[in-house]
Amino acid sequence: MLAIALASISGSAAALAAAGEVTVSAAASLTDVLQQAAKMYEWQTGDRLVLNFGASNTLARQIAAGARVDVFISADEAQMDAVAEHIVPGTRKDVLSNQLAIAVPDDRPRAFASARDLVDASIRRIAIGDPAAVPAGVYAKTYLERAGLWKQIAARIVPVGSVRLALAAVENGAADAAIVYRTDIGAARRAREAYVVPVAEGPAIRYPAAAIRGGTNRRGAQAFLAFLDSPQASALFTRAGFVPLAARRRLHP
Amino acid sequence: MSREIAEIALFTTAAAGAATVLMLGPGVGLAWVLARRTFPGKAILETLVSLPLVVPPVATGLILLWLLGRRGPIGRPLEAMGIEVVFTSRAVVIAMAVMGMPLLVRTARAGFEQVTRRYEQIAETLGAGPWRVFRTVTLPLASRNILAGALLGFSRALGEFGATIVVAGSIPGRTRTLAVGIYSYTETGQDRQAALLLVVSVAIAFAAVLVSNRLAREG
Repeated sequence: MLAIALASISGSAAALAAAGEVTVSAAASLTDVLQQAAKMYEWQTGDRLVLNFGASNTLARQIAAGARVDVFISADEAQMDAVAEHIVPGTRKDVLSNQLAIAVPDDRPRAFASARDLVDASIRRIAIGDPAAVPAGVYAKTYLERAGLWKQIAARIVPVGSVRLALAAVENGAADAAIVYRTDIGAARRAREAYVVPVAEGPAIRYPAAAIRGGTNRRGAQAFLAFLDSPQASALFTRAGFVPLAARRRLHP
Repeated sequence: MSREIAEIALFTTAAAGAATVLMLGPGVGLAWVLARRTFPGKAILETLVSLPLVVPPVATGLILLWLLGRRGPIGRPLEAMGIEVVFTSRAVVIAMAVMGMPLLVRTARAGFEQVTRRYEQIAETLGAGPWRVFRTVTLPLASRNILAGALLGFSRALGEFGATIVVAGSIPGRTRTLAVGIYSYTETGQDRQAALLLVVSVAIAFAAVLVSNRLAREG
């Protein structure tokens, strides 16, 4: 009985893969925008996208361990570098940029004059991605160190598993502030934007994408990577607050 | 072994110990009530007590987060008193106690059910009040099961992961336990640290099983 059930599950999975299924592992911060983009892509191509969201370091670990992934979109260069030997040569490109922002709970909305307001005694816990590897946390720590604030607030930092978990900590009242991407806050129901880090002051945020060797659908991977640069996808990303880098790449190849 | 690893091992053991102490009073009380009393809604209480065994631990963590968070029904008054729970070591102990308690209650309850009622009745006819009967007759006769249940609860607490990561996070030096630490180190590519914690976990588990086997033989 179990064997039959398992066979039918793997059978239907194989059938789907044959019909053009593309598995995409993407940074947690892309959750909402890629779900929308996926609908557009599926409608245009008839291919089916399987979206696997998580902290980029988690996704990179999965790929390094042999996960069957066709496309990887990381939130920083470091995690893409970590899987360098698993990338299909010549497919890696930077697709998006983003900005850091500070989120606060919606029942205590406030506007920060600068990130220095994080030092305020009323901010007792600050959630960020684990700065040991989660890209949003690495960016946040880099920024705070550069602003000369890290040492003062290090004891209040709560490292969490992904940027969306940092946002969730603010939403459920577990943290008084979170450093996330500007684009994350739009998706939150119970968090508000207190401050957006100016591009010139924050670290350069890049989302590289690449086809992965362990994948089963090379053609689909190439098609989806091309789609990410299309005008329709760029419009979607722009509306969500991301900066598409396709046009910039054409100017400075 | 690095200092960080030793601290995590010590913290985890201490937190599991504190959780065991915390669950002992209510756990033994509940076990006795379930073994000896009949009342309307008993089936519901029985179910509630066992719930953390069957509900996914992460879901239990979410319930705790909702209850204890700053916006929650318990977290709000605590916050007003200046007591923080979520993302502190208190949250670790509470998560461990909630997850370990069902094991204690079930084992202790079986112990109370095995106590011969006649001994208690004899003590009563000799003039002992209900509290004295419980303290001097029932409790000693059920003590082996209570101890076994406490050990089970302690072991469950030591390995607790799902509820802990949700309600307490993985803050180095503050809330990071063995189980959560292995996960965090693996996720962030610190494989050496993860491997060290793994060795420590196996060593502690080995010692715990050894002790409980010895207790079972002596009992």
